Amino acid sequence: MAPVELFVELTLMPLIAFAVGLMMVLMMRRIAARLQRRVGPPFFQPLYDIVKLHGKKTQVSHGLIHDIGIIMAMGGYIAAETLLPVPGMNGIADKGGIITLLYLMMIPSLGLALGVGQCANPNGSIGIARALTAMLAYDIPLVIVIFGVSFAYGSTNLVTLIQAQQAGGFETWGAVQNPVLALAGLIAMHASLGKQPFEIYIAPSEIATGPMVEMGGKYLGGLFVMQCFQLYTSSVLYVSLFLGGGTTWFDFLLKSFLVLAIPVSIAYLFPRYRTEDLLRLMWKWPVMLGLIGLAFVM
Amino acid sequence: MTLSPLDELLIYSAATLLVALLLGRRLAVGWMVTVLYGVQLLGLLKLAALAYGGEAVPASFSFEVLGHHLGWRFDALSWFFALITLGSALLSSWYSCGEWERSFRRQGGNLWLFHSALALNVFCMLILLSSGDLLSLFIGWELVSWAGFLLMAMAGGIATQAAMRYITYAMAGAMAIFGGIALVYVSAGSLQYEAIVTAVARMDTAHLWMLVILFSAGFGVKMGLLPFHLWQAPAYAETPGPGSAFLGAISSRMGLFAILLVLVKLFGIINIESLKIPFTLIDARDLLAWIAVLTIILPTFTAMKQNDARHLLAWHGIGQGGYMLLGLVVADAMGGAGGLLHVFNHATYQAALFMAVTAVIHRTGTADLNKLGGLVVRMPLSFLVLLVGIIGLAGLPPMNGFVSKWLVYRSLLNQGMPLLFLASVIGTLGTILSVYKLIHNIFLGQLRVEHEQVKEAPWSMMVPMLILAAIIFVTGLFPGIPLAWVASAQQAVGLPVPDYTLGGVSSGSGSLDMIWVIGVLFAGFGIGALIFYSAGPSKRVHQLDNYAGGHFLTADVRYQYSDNFYAGLMHLIKGWYRGSFLWLESSVRSLVEFLSLGMQGIYRRANAEFYLLSTALFVIAWVVF
Repeated sequence: MAPVELFVELTLMPLIAFAVGLMMVLMMRRIAARLQRRVGPPFFQPLYDIVKLHGKKTQVSHGLIHDIGIIMAMGGYIAAETLLPVPGMNGIADKGGIITLLYLMMIPSLGLALGVGQCANPNGSIGIARALTAMLAYDIPLVIVIFGVSFAYGSTNLVTLIQAQQAGGFETWGAVQNPVLALAGLIAMHASLGKQPFEIYIAPSEIATGPMVEMGGKYLGGLFVMQCFQLYTSSVLYVSLFLGGGTTWFDFLLKSFLVLAIPVSIAYLFPRYRTEDLLRLMWKWPVMLGLIGLAFVM
Repeated sequence: MTLSPLDELLIYSAATLLVALLLGRRLAVGWMVTVLYGVQLLGLLKLAALAYGGEAVPASFSFEVLGHHLGWRFDALSWFFALITLGSALLSSWYSCGEWERSFRRQGGNLWLFHSALALNVFCMLILLSSGDLLSLFIGWELVSWAGFLLMAMAGGIATQAAMRYITYAMAGAMAIFGGIALVYVSAGSLQYEAIVTAVARMDTAHLWMLVILFSAGFGVKMGLLPFHLWQAPAYAETPGPGSAFLGAISSRMGLFAILLVLVKLFGIINIESLKIPFTLIDARDLLAWIAVLTIILPTFTAMKQNDARHLLAWHGIGQGGYMLLGLVVADAMGGAGGLLHVFNHATYQAALFMAVTAVIHRTGTADLNKLGGLVVRMPLSFLVLLVGIIGLAGLPPMNGFVSKWLVYRSLLNQGMPLLFLASVIGTLGTILSVYKLIHNIFLGQLRVEHEQVKEAPWSMMVPMLILAAIIFVTGLFPGIPLAWVASAQQAVGLPVPDYTLGGVSSGSGSLDMIWVIGVLFAGFGIGALIFYSAGPSKRVHQLDNYAGGHFLTADVRYQYSDNFYAGLMHLIKGWYRGSFLWLESSVRSLVEFLSLGMQGIYRRANAEFYLLSTALFVIAWVVF
């Protein structure tokens, strides 16, 4: 591939991810509003929020690592997008593969953890301890699912995985071939989004015990940007693993939004689990499903 | 007589030991010894052709003992381990020079003993690495065991207890190895490697089982494989700082070297795979692989509970050894490469981590994770080194630990081993939790009142740390550099070699190119920084200027969340820490005590005349009939 073409792809992929991510945030808020019998925010509200947060006059920094943590949180996802194929663009997907993507997606968590740690607020540190525990909870079923899918198609290359699923139309989709794995993956993805009932570590309604406690202005804005990327990455990864990726932009986006709508719709109907209950749930049901799914694959 | 390059290397090493022994009481000796380690490293570089497919280099001396030929030679595998040994010795010794040395002496430490023990360790390791037959391997093994004891025991107190525990385990292990060697000799009639390889091919199953058990248990003691891991963490952690860095980086890998040599090169993984366990679906290779993953998981989760930074790191050292064994037992091209590459990578980040923690101890006087915090503003460079080190240890991009773990994961995927794969990823996730606790409790959170005047570590300590951090990053960016050495080492033990490139590995079923991954990652950070800094400037506030949820905090009491860090996790899993291995160890100890007491009773109390008489009668009867 010509270097210019690759450069254009590497630039476009995160940009598209950001734009789609903004719309996903909008969808999430609209669904929440409908469930709570509200109207919901206007189309550009997520963008307004980011601009507003970055434009705040009071920006409070607790030190260089606080800043770098936010940059890592955004940068890790920006890099991860180039490993995630979209219709017509593969970026550097064949140079990393799915294991690399999985680990790149931990960089933002590490960045957030470092940034919050530097804030010197014990409430923030408690939130991070919970967030990392949650990561331990949902990554175990996620890893089983990823192993199952890669083993079934004999590759860790996402491009190969998507091509194999598209080869025979609907019948060769991952979700049709390995429905149990797909279900386990859906639960793990839901938990990885940090939405109810798995949002104890963000705890938006009791801000004093979450990672966000010292985050304001552009710090919160950076995390908002990170959330856009996170929603996009999770749903597109699921689409690539189980729903055959996208042949055209239309079906790609349709699938991505629909997949995301499932956990988001469930989320607003539930209260939350405590950390240890989250662990117990994650280590029981999706792990069991994942292992059953693996048994079918092997 | 002309000296072969290997002779020169061993002579340099012996000279280093002599200088340390004879001149060790002078303060400048640290620098002299460090320079001599540099000379040894240059001597090793003269052998660098080995790492790129060169022929094995023999030493020009050899002995005949009771008809056995004892020889020493260097091949690509020896070179690879020797590079790590000398690299860690050089940097640890450099780190110990200057200010650390002076403070160590002020606290009553014996500098002569430290330098001599380190030089002795290096010399003995080189002897072990160059062994050319099983007898010289055993001699090298014993030398390394006792040299290690010297370095571990020198701190006194808990360290001596730990070292005693180590030497007890090591002697038991040596007995097992000696038994194994005797068995090999009986069936092969020789202790030369070639003779053993042919003998193994026609050995029956029971015999081979016995050998595999004896050798893996004996060498596994040094590696800290389960269930022989209890000695390692306290023994490594309590050694004086640079000694911990050296021991943690390479010492227990000698066990891996020996396992690799005997089990993989001499016995062959195919032969080990043919040893089925009756009534189950697994064979000896699976058994070893499961021991390896248990060695990954259990020590990692023990590390998470440690409240002393050095102990935490030492427990992780045991856990990371499991990845190396796992990769080598899987023994395909990627697994073998991952296991061996992890030896190199682990040495770099473990040394850096121990050095960073020692720097903190040097400045604050404690490694207690509940008595530190907020030091990033006082010791930013040490923070940077620790950060690079923990990213390597946790195996995240962009550091080198990611590449070797990726190779191990890929080999498990290729071979279709889902449970081992899952277990090794659980180990990595546990490591992430544990190392965040480490960096948070030392460097993040609130700075304590008594640490407000703390200074950054001195340059004599900082430079080796920064060099290590640079190596961790560069070998993460260009893993092809160490992979070339690893490939030669793999060939030397008869393992297949992966198709490596400068940036990683290329394979039909999914490649890795770290140059691209890291390039994109840093581009992402750049864009993130652009977004972040495009907003208005931020105001730096005091650390106590934060939101306390309505509680009034005074400036005299610092609130740092450090104890029982993962409370939610521990709430669920604390019941799983049963101390079973401690129980096992104490029951073995009680059994031995009981038996020895019984023997003593019979021997001392009962009628000596009666035993004398019966023995005499027995002897007479034996002579007569």
